[in-house]
Amino acid sequence: MAGKPHKPRRKIDPATIPPLPPHARRAQLFQYGVALLLVGLTVLSLALLGDIDWARVAGRLERNLGPFVRGFSNPDVGIFSRAFDAMMETLYMAVIGTAIGGVLAVPLSFISAANLMGGSRGAIPGRSILAGVRVFPELLFAIIFVASIGPGAVAGIMALGVNSVGFLGKMFSDIIESVDPGPGEALRSTGATPIHSFFYAVIPQVTPEFASNVLYRFEINLRAASILGLVGAGGIGGLLIQRIQFRRWEEISMILIIIIAFVVVVDVLSSFIRRRLV
Amino acid sequence: MLPNVERQTADVPKRALLPRLFNWTVWVAFLLLLYISVVQTEFRFDDLWGSTRDFVLFFGNFWPPDWRALPEIWGPLVETLVMAYLGTLFGVILGVPWLFWSSRNTAPNVVLMWFSRIFMTVLRSVPDLLYAAVLVAILSLGPLPGVVAITIFTLSILAKLGSEYVEAVDPGPLEALRASGASGTHVIVYGVVPQVAASMISYILYIFEVNVRASTVLGFVGAGGIGQTLFTYISLFDYPAIAVLLIITFVVVAMIDTVSAFVRARLT
Repeated sequence: MAGKPHKPRRKIDPATIPPLPPHARRAQLFQYGVALLLVGLTVLSLALLGDIDWARVAGRLERNLGPFVRGFSNPDVGIFSRAFDAMMETLYMAVIGTAIGGVLAVPLSFISAANLMGGSRGAIPGRSILAGVRVFPELLFAIIFVASIGPGAVAGIMALGVNSVGFLGKMFSDIIESVDPGPGEALRSTGATPIHSFFYAVIPQVTPEFASNVLYRFEINLRAASILGLVGAGGIGGLLIQRIQFRRWEEISMILIIIIAFVVVVDVLSSFIRRRLV
Repeated sequence: MLPNVERQTADVPKRALLPRLFNWTVWVAFLLLLYISVVQTEFRFDDLWGSTRDFVLFFGNFWPPDWRALPEIWGPLVETLVMAYLGTLFGVILGVPWLFWSSRNTAPNVVLMWFSRIFMTVLRSVPDLLYAAVLVAILSLGPLPGVVAITIFTLSILAKLGSEYVEAVDPGPLEALRASGASGTHVIVYGVVPQVAASMISYILYIFEVNVRASTVLGFVGAGGIGQTLFTYISLFDYPAIAVLLIITFVVVAMIDTVSAFVRARLT
């Protein structure tokens, strides 16, 4: 080493490098495998998507991009009051949908919590119901509600409610399962009944976390409610989709500004309250 | 002598006034908001039962499922998964710089950090279906607007939650690297990435699950995938075919969720 101070990057004889320990070699092989899999999947995906007519896309882009940029930089103030009213309806839908979800999720979360149902096997029916509900996005529920009870805000509220039950029920049951058993045992050792220990040991522990999750779901529901109108389920989405079909970018721009403003304000307020809660 | 029990209970400390007031204001505000919402949307409580009954009865239309629709479903379903996969992939690739620009401990400067955070917040507040609808109007019908919409969604959500992981790393290795003269990129590659890799991959898998669900409905606005087939069936009132489509989608989405959840459990 001291012989060649000017060439620190001298060639290392590969034979002198000790072989990697077996576990590191396995990890390395695994990483190469995953990388290869990802590359393969990407190539396959691009091949499957291959029939995109790029010339047509370029033509469309050339025709639409100019009006789009011009329209978006000139939001149409004329539609403000209509869009604002529609956004308020969206907000109301999200409030009711979240409230329905929050109330109905409580009993469902009890029957899905392993520690209340005497083991994980007892929680299976409740868990499967909740998992089944969560697989479908709220837009699908909205479509079915619109088809079965007709278009309007009620269909949207019900869709939000059903989907929120799936999400909140899961969150609530996870929270109940992570409750510290100490306070409950302490209460029972002083002679409290199980009902007492439920009210004074379990409820105080879970309430802030329940409320925090309900608020979080409300943020999600406000975003979701703003698109339900695309399928006729009320809110600002209906106003928006008509204008998108006719490419009235000035009005679309104003509507999007209102949606973004509402969502950002609700997010900020909600995360402020959530920080104080937990 | 027995101690005076009553005097002792009087000493139970009361919670501070401010948090109690805060709790009450939140509850009153919530109930008021709920009341206004019910009045304004003319939502009645019999709607709750009536629409649930109609919803359940409506499922009668789905029976019996028409399995002849099955061959028409595979193509669009694969397209849906491809859209979700490519959107997640591109979103992650494009999201990585924003992720580090949004994190306090890796941002090159404060201006770029706040610009990145605000820009990502705005991007995130628009739902992916709206991106898809606007992009369909600009680009054309088909899976391309769907992929772009999912890319934008992935990018914005990765920057938000990913930066929370990055900000939570142990600062020791970062300081050590900086002390030995490492550049910003070196600090990220050798100090931050090894600490966050496992939780980040787990989070990306979760985003992929979300994207699979989202991409099943993007076709409703013309952005390709199984949603477009569903839209056709709904326009034709072909309920037995819709039943098959929903069953197959349910099974495939549940399978992806299970595999992904298994991998995530192994990672963390």
